Amino acid sequence: MNLVLRLAWRNLWRQPRRTWLTTGAMVFSNVLLVFMISLQFGMYRLMIENSLKAFTGHMQVQARGYIDDQKMRQTIPDVVALAEHLRDKLDSDEVAARATAFALASSEERSYGIAVFGVEPRFEPRVSSIPGLVGEGRYLQGDDAAEIVIGSVLARNLRVGVGDELTLLGSGRDGSFAAVVATVAGVFDSGVAELDRTIAEMPLGLFQDVFYMEGSGHQVVVNAQRLGQAAELQSRVAALLPEGQDLVVQDWDALLPGLKQAIQADISSAVFMYGVLVILVAFSVLNTQLMSVLERTHEFGIVLALGLKPGRLGRLVMLETAMMGAIGLTIGALVGGALTAWLGMRGFTMPGMEEMGAKFNLPSRLHPEVTFASLLSGPAVVFLFSLLASVYPALRLRRLQPVEAMRSA
Amino acid sequence: MINTLRILTLLAWRNLWRNHRRTLIMLGAVVVGVWAMIFMTALTMGMVNDMIEDSISVLPGHVQVHHPDYLDDPNIANLLPMPDADIEKTFANAGFRAWSTRIKVPAVVSSERESRGVTLLGIDPQRERPMTFVDYDAVEGRFLEGPADDGIVIGHKLADTLETELGKRIVLMSQDPDNDIADRGFRVVGLFHADVAAYEEQYVFAGKQTVQKLLGVGDGVTAIVVLGDDYRDVEPLYDKVSALVDGGVTVSRWTELDTYLGTMLRVMDGFVLVWVIVIFLALSFGLVNTLVMAVFERVREIGLMLALGMKPSSILGQIVIESMMLLIIGLAIGNLLAWVTIKPLESGIDISVVAEGMAMMGAASVLYPQLRLEDVVLANTVVLLMGFFASLSPAWRASRFQPIEAITKVN
Amino acid sequence: MTAVRCVNLCKTYRQGEQDIKALDHLSMEVEEGGFVCLSSPSGGGKTTLLNAIGGLDKPDSGEVWIAGQRIDNLGKGDLAELRLHRIGFVFQAFNLIPVLSARENVEFVMQVQGVPVAERRAKSMEILEEVGLQGLEDRLPSEMSGGQQQRVAVARAIVSNPALVLADEPTANLDSKTADGLIDLFKHLNEHHGTTFIIATHDQRVMAYAKRLVRMLDGRIVEEVEQNAA
Repeated sequence: MNLVLRLAWRNLWRQPRRTWLTTGAMVFSNVLLVFMISLQFGMYRLMIENSLKAFTGHMQVQARGYIDDQKMRQTIPDVVALAEHLRDKLDSDEVAARATAFALASSEERSYGIAVFGVEPRFEPRVSSIPGLVGEGRYLQGDDAAEIVIGSVLARNLRVGVGDELTLLGSGRDGSFAAVVATVAGVFDSGVAELDRTIAEMPLGLFQDVFYMEGSGHQVVVNAQRLGQAAELQSRVAALLPEGQDLVVQDWDALLPGLKQAIQADISSAVFMYGVLVILVAFSVLNTQLMSVLERTHEFGIVLALGLKPGRLGRLVMLETAMMGAIGLTIGALVGGALTAWLGMRGFTMPGMEEMGAKFNLPSRLHPEVTFASLLSGPAVVFLFSLLASVYPALRLRRLQPVEAMRSA
Repeated sequence: MINTLRILTLLAWRNLWRNHRRTLIMLGAVVVGVWAMIFMTALTMGMVNDMIEDSISVLPGHVQVHHPDYLDDPNIANLLPMPDADIEKTFANAGFRAWSTRIKVPAVVSSERESRGVTLLGIDPQRERPMTFVDYDAVEGRFLEGPADDGIVIGHKLADTLETELGKRIVLMSQDPDNDIADRGFRVVGLFHADVAAYEEQYVFAGKQTVQKLLGVGDGVTAIVVLGDDYRDVEPLYDKVSALVDGGVTVSRWTELDTYLGTMLRVMDGFVLVWVIVIFLALSFGLVNTLVMAVFERVREIGLMLALGMKPSSILGQIVIESMMLLIIGLAIGNLLAWVTIKPLESGIDISVVAEGMAMMGAASVLYPQLRLEDVVLANTVVLLMGFFASLSPAWRASRFQPIEAITKVN
Repeated sequence: MTAVRCVNLCKTYRQGEQDIKALDHLSMEVEEGGFVCLSSPSGGGKTTLLNAIGGLDKPDSGEVWIAGQRIDNLGKGDLAELRLHRIGFVFQAFNLIPVLSARENVEFVMQVQGVPVAERRAKSMEILEEVGLQGLEDRLPSEMSGGQQQRVAVARAIVSNPALVLADEPTANLDSKTADGLIDLFKHLNEHHGTTFIIATHDQRVMAYAKRLVRMLDGRIVEEVEQNAA
């Protein structure tokens, strides 16, 4: 076996330029793949986390059907108690109750339709980044003070600031007229236009009074410690829901359907591109190995005449390819990993990323991270396809007849 | 010189086919690469094009004119300083592909059961028809018939949310210039569909004059919208429109009104170039390898040719011509293959499986690939140009052979 | 008129630790229409001398004159021109361009010279007939025997009327009958066209045909024998 290894290795270096060019193709592709896959994985993760962290949360308990109809009357009874119950059983305070309604907000000069949310001021900061993004004034305190926190675009549109009063008009749960005057306690700037323009938050207690909720609400937001744990947490939460109230737990995919699909679409196009690269490398390997085999027909003939089995010869070719592939994989992964890590430290930006990123909750500088998977997945596929590409040349060897072979140049 | 070129071309061609397999494999790689370049580009540009056309149909138009404060504060107080009648005089005969004036303000619609915040559009339906995202013929009931139409047209989804339907009355509430509430009941005369569900919830259409009366603004409008011929070439339109209006207004290009897509267009153009180059680089390893192997096999006859008096530059030329022939054939087949695979897909690729994701990015759920001449030319040019340079190295080395060494070389 | 004149040629090669004197103050003259054989044991300098005369290699010192023109001080480009127009080569093997047919190989030099098509065609057919290969003009080298290939090489070497034809071991790979045929051809061309031939060989039969036999040893001429005076 040792002999075959040595033979394979030596064969590679009979034509150093050819070997280097072939591994060069592998290295080029691998570097690209490592970088792009690292970038993508990191970007997706960030997109999801940022989007969810902003307001949606990893999952929400809602009344069945609420997610489609969003009707005021599709409520969770005793929502504060339920939230407390979940906090207790899950031993986590990343649980917050909410209620929501449409209302017309009027300042002295302007009126706008908005979505008003009743929130638990103590716990809302644990499930949403909005409380932490209050730039002017402060976030809500207390459970029923007549105060409100609004988005920066809304504040601008309504021409109000901290301390000004807003009148809210809407319909209560039973359809009756609901109204309240609240003082703007703080203005938040999340950077997400949707949120900054349409959302206002008030204490849940106040909301429940104003909108005749009778202790009910619409959502209980639950966050896991890490996104990866969300699925498991979801089943636990589902098990803790009270019987007979027809409540369901919606995961983030249901809450933000566009997000997962946007990512899927991006993945498909990326896979297509990666696929093309891999195929081109495979062609390169096929060409090289085929030429290499054909050149050595004569000496293979001799070797066969001396009694070596054709199968062993085939394996020789595959072994040579494997060696080249290993070189390509190693160098490619190393260089790709180093490049990505360096860019990860420095931060990576492209023209246009800032505007495009804003739409998806991404910062304008990305820091790609190299993980085990992102480092090896691309190069591994290249390696595999390179081996596959050398199957044909290897098979040709099996059909070689010694005498004929020796006759060729 | 011509004679030399002829013999070089003959030699290059014959040498290309000397080793069938190698040439065919390399050719295969080039074909795959070229096909991928063009196919992917068509898909990407198609997607971007759809997104932009979509956005333009919502804005609508390529250029818009507003009161300077309106874009920050889309309130009825920020009307255009000139009355509609004056605008009509200046714009009517300017020769625009399509144009209109409109009122666009935030409002609240209420049915018996629910209320929602919406964007109220007071429009001239005939003028806006060529520009808008609403397919008037596909409207359930009817669309508005003129700027004085009394009815209101809302989206299907909004009707569901409000639990109302055709023929029923809803109340429209908005702010007048004195910051008082102006409200009125409207009969729902039409329900429209939009590719993007969110549009159905957000936009309500009423006649321009009806809205003007409702809000008590006389002949005022909030925006002039103008459509040109090519969204990529917006400057001439911008200049033309700017010339027709006095100062005291803001003229905006669509790229400023939708910065995301404006940027995306630029980014995608760059992306196409990068993609083409990356593919070619991946190909170039194989190409150079092929040439190097070919040259290596022909050392003796190159030496022979040099000994017989051929110039080294001719040797270089031969190799370069050989390489370019390979690329040209590969390009021809690759282009053809791309055309053949894209043409049938031009009636749309159904990607409704990721419909909502596309909506999030601003695209519809059917993808229409767009094969543009510029992109095809770009891909072909890059391949030819880079191919030329890639082949220079092995060709150069071949031309540096010394005849004696080459002739006496033992393999 | 002197076809070739070598004056005091010196050429030394380094091989490993040793310096090998391939040409050691060698002088020689060949008159027009001459038929000279250079012989030496392997190595011995005959190929080096041939290369120097043919402008393929530069001597370290000394002069080389072809038809009254000094060539050892020419640049590469001029040497190429010289080889193209004035010298014909026949090598031991690999004389032909594999992708060109016999006729195309013969025409090759003329084409590079810029000779128009009709003239090329006529000349090449004529010469192929003269070397006895009519009917084989469209064959590729791979479809011809060793002897036929050499004949094509000879045809190419003389078709544009060079001042001189240099042949390096032209019969080495041929069986005796074919070799005889080739030598006859050389003689025929020498007699009918007056082309000067300088042939490096250690084939006895070739040497027997020469008008002058030049024996070399260690880069020097050790013997010159006139024979077969016409």
